[in-house]
Order: sequence, then structure tokens, then C-alpha cells
Amino acid sequence: MIFAHVPYFVAGWIFLWGLYGIVTSKNLVHQVICLTVVQTSTYILLLAIGFKTGGTAPVFADIPVGTVVVDPLVQALMLTDVVVEATVMALLLSMVVKANELAGTIDPEELKIMQG
Amino acid sequence: MTITALIPLPVAIPLIAAAFIALTGSWLGRRVSDSVAIASAGTNLVLTLLILRGTWSHTYVYWFGNWWPRSNNVVLGICFSVDAIGAALAVLVSLLTTAALIFSWRIFEDTENHFQPLMLIFMAAMCGFSFTGDLFNLFVFFELMSVSAFALCGLKTLEPAPLQGAFNFAVVNTIGAFMILMGISLLYARTGALNFAQVGHSLGSQSDALVLVAFLLICVGYLAKSAIVPFHFWLADAHAVAPTPVCVLFSGIMIELGIYAVARIYWTIFQGPLAAHASEMRNILLVMATITAVLGGFMCYAEHHLKRLLAFSTISHAGLMLAGVGILTSKALAGFVIYVFSHGLIKGGLFLCAGIVLHRLHKIGEHHLHGRGRGMWFTAALFIIGALGLATCGPFGTLLGESMISDGAKQVHQGWFAYIFMFVETLTAAAVLRATFRIFFGWGKPAPTDKSSRIDEGPETKPEGVTPVLMFVPAAALILLGICITGVPQLRSAGRANAELFMDQPRYASSVLNNVQLAAPEEKKPESLTPSIIRCLATGLLALLLALATVFRNRLGTALKFTRSLELGNSLVRKVHSGHPGDYVAWLAFGTALLGGMFFWFLR
Amino acid sequence: MSSRMRTALFLISALGLAAIFGLGFRNLPPVGDYRGPYGNVVSQVAVYERHATDVVNAINYDYRACDTLGEEFILFASVLGVLLIFRPSPAKDEAKGKKKGEKRPPQVEDELPISDTIRVGMMAMAGLMIVFGVYIAVHGQLTPGGGFQGGVILASVPLVVYLSGNVKAFDKIVSTPLIKLAEFCGAAGYAIIGTSALFFGAHFLTNIVPLGTTGDPFSSGTIAVISVAVGLEVTGGFVLLMEVYLREVIDERLENES
Repeated sequence: MIFAHVPYFVAGWIFLWGLYGIVTSKNLVHQVICLTVVQTSTYILLLAIGFKTGGTAPVFADIPVGTVVVDPLVQALMLTDVVVEATVMALLLSMVVKANELAGTIDPEELKIMQG
Repeated sequence: MTITALIPLPVAIPLIAAAFIALTGSWLGRRVSDSVAIASAGTNLVLTLLILRGTWSHTYVYWFGNWWPRSNNVVLGICFSVDAIGAALAVLVSLLTTAALIFSWRIFEDTENHFQPLMLIFMAAMCGFSFTGDLFNLFVFFELMSVSAFALCGLKTLEPAPLQGAFNFAVVNTIGAFMILMGISLLYARTGALNFAQVGHSLGSQSDALVLVAFLLICVGYLAKSAIVPFHFWLADAHAVAPTPVCVLFSGIMIELGIYAVARIYWTIFQGPLAAHASEMRNILLVMATITAVLGGFMCYAEHHLKRLLAFSTISHAGLMLAGVGILTSKALAGFVIYVFSHGLIKGGLFLCAGIVLHRLHKIGEHHLHGRGRGMWFTAALFIIGALGLATCGPFGTLLGESMISDGAKQVHQGWFAYIFMFVETLTAAAVLRATFRIFFGWGKPAPTDKSSRIDEGPETKPEGVTPVLMFVPAAALILLGICITGVPQLRSAGRANAELFMDQPRYASSVLNNVQLAAPEEKKPESLTPSIIRCLATGLLALLLALATVFRNRLGTALKFTRSLELGNSLVRKVHSGHPGDYVAWLAFGTALLGGMFFWFLR
Repeated sequence: MSSRMRTALFLISALGLAAIFGLGFRNLPPVGDYRGPYGNVVSQVAVYERHATDVVNAINYDYRACDTLGEEFILFASVLGVLLIFRPSPAKDEAKGKKKGEKRPPQVEDELPISDTIRVGMMAMAGLMIVFGVYIAVHGQLTPGGGFQGGVILASVPLVVYLSGNVKAFDKIVSTPLIKLAEFCGAAGYAIIGTSALFFGAHFLTNIVPLGTTGDPFSSGTIAVISVAVGLEVTGGFVLLMEVYLREVIDERLENES
């Protein structure tokens, strides 16, 4: 019963771990990677929702229309997201690289210029 | 050409223009890129005005790819369902972007040609956001809006501060986006659909833990964009370092769109399930709104960096706007829309004036600028008019908005909210007036220094003795429009009628799913403005008195010591706004857990 | 806030969030029991309506093409943002000019020569990857693949060339204006394809190109065309990112080589 929901709980677990990583991090690059971990949890949730037991890939090149397939929509949502979020993380990393160049550090504690 | 054909254009044309400028900008030169960008923004303004005029009497539903809904209310495609409120927001977007692009004609000599495309993409995303009728499409435009905002925020790369500000902004908003995606997944699992109308129709009125968690996640994600406490920490950082034209867009419309998204999603999807607990929902939202407004107001008064001051005033006004939505009546919702529009114009104008100050005087901290603005009469006048607009003291659109929201509050027996309005507006207007008196008139002693005003901005422009016309005109135009909006005939009654339509879920569903044309909404008679006018005059007077008392406190004696503590702010609260992204994420998690706890306690 | 307080605040919130997730996710349908109408309906109709055998790409480039337009522009905006943040600034050039006279201390990678196996193997891989990438990008409507995936494979080709030690070739590949042209044309191309539908009286992003026979490489109308545009854009975008990130390293290595 409850085992059927394990993938959802795994997604929630990874989400919280990613957030923990960001909160306790001492390195901006590490924070960006933890953000990718949080992102992964959303994909796990999406894909688990779309899964159909006994279903195969929703590509009808060699199977007749009408065979049981898993939900194609969540895959469509996810696949564009993966590629696009990679570039968004590149944007964040570029900010970190530039900040390091200008301030000499990537420790958020030392970079706390924005206080108050 | 019918209005329907125009609907995808405010999104498509700026995107094509952006790609064009990015490709050819280095060959065609700066002036051509600027002109193409301004032309594209201007075209958007014309298009959205035409669409607004059309939606005054008619709601449009536009199906991309001709994918009309199928039988059994199954929708496979994406639709833009444009009503007057969405169109009005799109008009505001285009207006502010045009003003910002005209203002930036003179600045950023070294950004090659990447600034204008990002501004155009930002504008296209916000227009799409206001029009769309699909959950995932809303999320995609939200992400597009956010990414262009991150890039624009970190534009000044000569100091590390802009990059850290942009980074903090990016981390908090990206986590918010992931939460929204999780919420959307939950709704999809329950209903198998992504279209607002279809999801609302399928959910019916079943309310269980899943629906609550979905609403929580979606709310938190969009409210983090709207800088509601405790998700607001990123906003002051971002505004302190973003270039002026970008701040105009952030404060003028980007923040407000988050609250609009919550309103849209609530009334098309969650109204059914949460109907039984509407008054508890109202109370929760009002509490959040009040805390945001009051905290924002106090922090605003304690700031001496002009842009951070205006940023905190945006946070407090965002609280007021959330109340407009949270009161859950049509009058308050109409007040929200009018308030958003006029606040956007006035705040945009004030930011452009701050940009003029930065251009002429090369500093942005109140302490360093003391008395140096003498002679800049026009800018000083604009600042004072803007401050009065924030205090709703005068013929400003904000007066209409405030009166409708306060009336709405009184209708649901929460009349005390009108006093929160007064309090917050007094603080924020007084802060701007105080800054004006010190900078432009040189009255009183220099402001106390604090850590934040030492983030002095590098000049955005080359030094010049005179403010160019292209900087004055947008600033003055925006503030003037904030006044002129009161002249729109029957604004309040039309607003009220459209708000009723916005809140009517069955009619929305039938117009989207079955293409049933909605009858033109009937207009209701607006209520008297007199109580509001009295309140607003009082607010203006109080703001003036507070500003004068702060400026002249040394002469007026120790009885007014409270002005000094007001100005220095609470050191604990200031320490919490630390600039560390881990802190912000911890508060985000805390806020989500707290809000979730309240939802489960009161709304089950 | 001190780091202890921050962690404590987060841990308390995490407990609350875990409880909230637990209560909420418990009511989800069990994994494997997908009920919703969208997936079922679209799997039935996509092949007939669009002559495309890959339903995922039919959704991406046709049924929900507006979403993919937005996502593509997110990529575009991120790349523009990186270019903006890494733009050359006069202060930096001044610092660089001073450094030109000094010689960089020898690094480990300069000393280890790259073995011939890797060099030849990588160049062979590069050729294979180009063909494979183009194949994936062009066959989006028939098999799992499409513009996004094909574009990423193609974008790895310059990286493979770099890893084989041939910095000159890498520099030549990534600095051509063709890369920028590919990226911007891919981005604009998608929006222009969508707008062209307007001229035929249909709504934005309608599939107006003849659909062809299912299973043919040139079937399913605009799905194939959009897939290629997206492939161009993704390739261009990622190669630009690589170039911008590695610019300093490339310049130094070229200098040391000469």
C-alpha cells in the first residue's frame, strides 16, 4: 500500500536534502550544485506521477497505437526543463566566477556585503 | 484585423526583435539596437492598448496551434484567455518597459548589445504571464521572466555586490519555481490536466490534503516572487544593485505579477475546494499582508540608500496589494488592480528619479548626498509628487485603489485594515519626503550612516552637468500618468465588474472549455470617496510632519527621540537581512512550514 | 544569523515540511496507476492527427509548442546573461595587459603529454558524434530524440576536440561567427515559424506544413522544422557557454604553445 508511494517520498526527501545543502553551505559553487539536486527531486515527482505499470515508451514507431504506454506529457515537460535548467545553472555559476574574480572569495559568509 | 489575431503578438514580436538585436547589434551599432528595442516596446504598448480596449466588453480565448478543446472537456493545447485585468497588466508592462528603455538610451555604454534583448524578453515573458490560461505555461513564463531578471540584475560587473545580489535573487526565486512545479505536478496527478479551467472543473469541490499542499506550494512559489514576508529578503538586495531601468520593472510590475498569479489560480482552481473555509483563508492572507506591510514600512524608514528605501516601500505596498486579493471580494480585487497600475507608474517614476540623482550626483546614499541636490528643482518636485502619490494624498490612482480595498475590508468586518494602510503609507511617504528634504533642500543635519548606504553604486553614466531630456521625460511621464489614471471614466465601476468576472469560476470554465461567450459585465455604482479622501489627507499631513520632525529633530528637542530610533531601525531585524543566501533559504523553508501549518490547522 | 541558528531554523522547518509532504503525497494515486485523461487521449490521437510516431515530441513541438518556445528563450536568455556577465571590461583588460609580460608558472597539465590513443580516439569520436547528433536532432518526430537532445550531443563535439589536446582547433571551432548565427537563428526561427502560421489565417504555432506519411523522415510538418531550429539553438548556446567559460584558459594555452 504505502510502498506504492515511496517514489513520491523519495522526491520529498531529496528536496529537503538539497535545501539543507544550500542552507549549510560555505561555498557558492556548492550551493548551485545543491540547487541542481533540488531540481532533480521535482523531476522524480513528475516522472513517478506519469508512470503506468506495464506501460512502455510512448513511441509508436514499432508498436501499434493502442498499446499501454506511460504518460508522455510529464516526459515532455521534463525533457525541455533538464536542458534549460542546465543553462540557468551556468548563469548562476557565471555570477559566482565573476564574484570570485572581483572579491577573491566564494564563501557566502565573507561576501556578506548586503547586510542591513 | 480582429483583436483575436493580435493576442499572440505582444509575446512573439519582442522575442523576434530580441533575437534580431542580439545577432546584428554589434554590426548595426548601439543606436540602431536601442531604436529597434524602443520600437518593439512601443509596438507592444499599442497592441496591448488595443487588446485592453477590446476586453473592456469581451473576453478572448486564443488557442495556440488551433488545438480547440475536445469533448468531455479535455484540453490538449495551450490557451491565452485574456480578460480586462490581464490586458491591463500587459499594458502596464509595455508602458514601463518603454519608459525604461527610453531612460537607458544614455547609459550602459559597454554592454555590447545584450541589455536590450534581455529587456525585450523580460517584457514578452511578463505579457505572456498576464495572458495565459494554462498552469505549466504560467510556470514557463515565470521562469523566463526570472531568468532575464537574474541576468539584468547582475549587469554591473565592476563590483562584487551586484553579483551577490543577483545570486541571492536567483537562489530564492529558483527554489520558489521548483515549489511551483511540485504544486503543478500534484494538481496534474489529481486531475490529469494543466489548463486552469479544466483543472478547476475536475477538482470540483473536493478538498483534501493533496489539494492543500498543492495550493501551499504554488502560493509560496509565487509569493516568494512577490516578496511577501518571510520570502522578501532577496528584493532589497536585488534593487540595491540592479541598474535603474531594471529596478523600474522589478518594482513596477514583476512583484505584482506574483500576487496576480495567486489570485488567478485561486479563483479558477481552488475556489471550489476552499470555499467552505473562505473566511479562514481571508484571515491568513490578511495576517501575511499586514506583517509584510508593517515590516516593510519600518525597514523602509530605516534605510538611507535611496534604492533600498524604495525597495522596502515596494515590499510594504506588496503587502497592501496582497490584502486587496486576500479580502476575497470583488471590490477589493478591483482595488488591487487599480492600485497595482497606479503604484507601478508612481514607483517606476520614483526609481527613474533616483536614477537621475545617481546620474547627476554619482552617489545614492542619503548621507553622502546631503544638500548636494540643491538646484535640481524639477527632480525634487517629481520626488515630492511621487511621495504624495505613495501617501495617496491627492488625485492619484492609488487613492482609488486604497478606497476600494479599504471599503472591501470594511464589508467583511475587517475595517481595521484601513488604518494599516494609513500607517504604512505614512511611513513610506515620509521616508521619501525625508530623503527629498535632506538631498534637495539640505535641511537639517546629514542622515546617520549605516552599512547599507555604504554600498554606494558606481555611476551608471558618464559625468555630465545637465540631466538629459531623455531621462526626465520618462520619469515625469510615468508620474503624470499616475495622476491621469483617475481621469479614466468609470474606472472603478468597470474595475468592479471585471473583478466579478475574474472571480466567477463557472463562467470562466464555460468560456474556455465550451467557447460560451460571456455577456458584458454590468457596471455597478461606485461608493463615495469622501471617507477615503479624509483618510488620505490625514496620511499626507502625518507623512509631512514625520519627515519634518526627523529632519529637524536636533532643533526640536529630545521629545522627538523616537524619530531617531525609527530611523536607525531595529538592529536585530537588520541583522536578519544579512545578505547570506543560506539565511534566505532557511527563512523560505520556515515560512513554507508555518504557512502549511496554518493551512492544515484552519482549512481542513 | 550565525550558522548554528540558521541550521536550527532550517531543521525545524524541514520537520514541518516533511510532515506536510507526507500528508499531501499520501493522497496521490499510487505509482503505476496513472488515471488522468491527458496522457491517455494524446497517446491515442497524436499519431493520426500529426503523423508523428514520437508522442513526446509531438506534445513538445505541436500540442504544447508555446511552452517549448518559452523554454527555448529561457536558454537564450541564460546564454545572453552569461555573455553579459563575462563581457570584457576595460579594468580587466588593463590588469591582463600587465600580466602579459609575466610567464605563467608551469602547471601539471602542461607537463603530461596527451597520449596518442586519446588524441586519435577523440578525433574519431568527434566525427561519429556529429553524425549521431544530427541523426538524433533530425529524427525527433519518429524516435525519442529531437532538437534538445541532438543539440546537446552536437555541443559536446568541441569539448571532445578540446579534451584531445588540440586547443587551436577548439579555438577555431568555437570562435566562428557561425555559432552565434546558429543560436540566434534557431531562437528567432522558432518564433518566426509560429508567426508564419498567422499569415495563413491560422493561430500562432499551428502546423501548416504538409504532414507527409507517418514514419517518413520528412513527416509531421512543423514538428521536424521546429526540432531542427531548437537543435541549432541548443548547440549554439552550449558552445557559446563553453567558449566564454574557457576563454581565459584557451588564450593562455595558445600563448604558451606559441
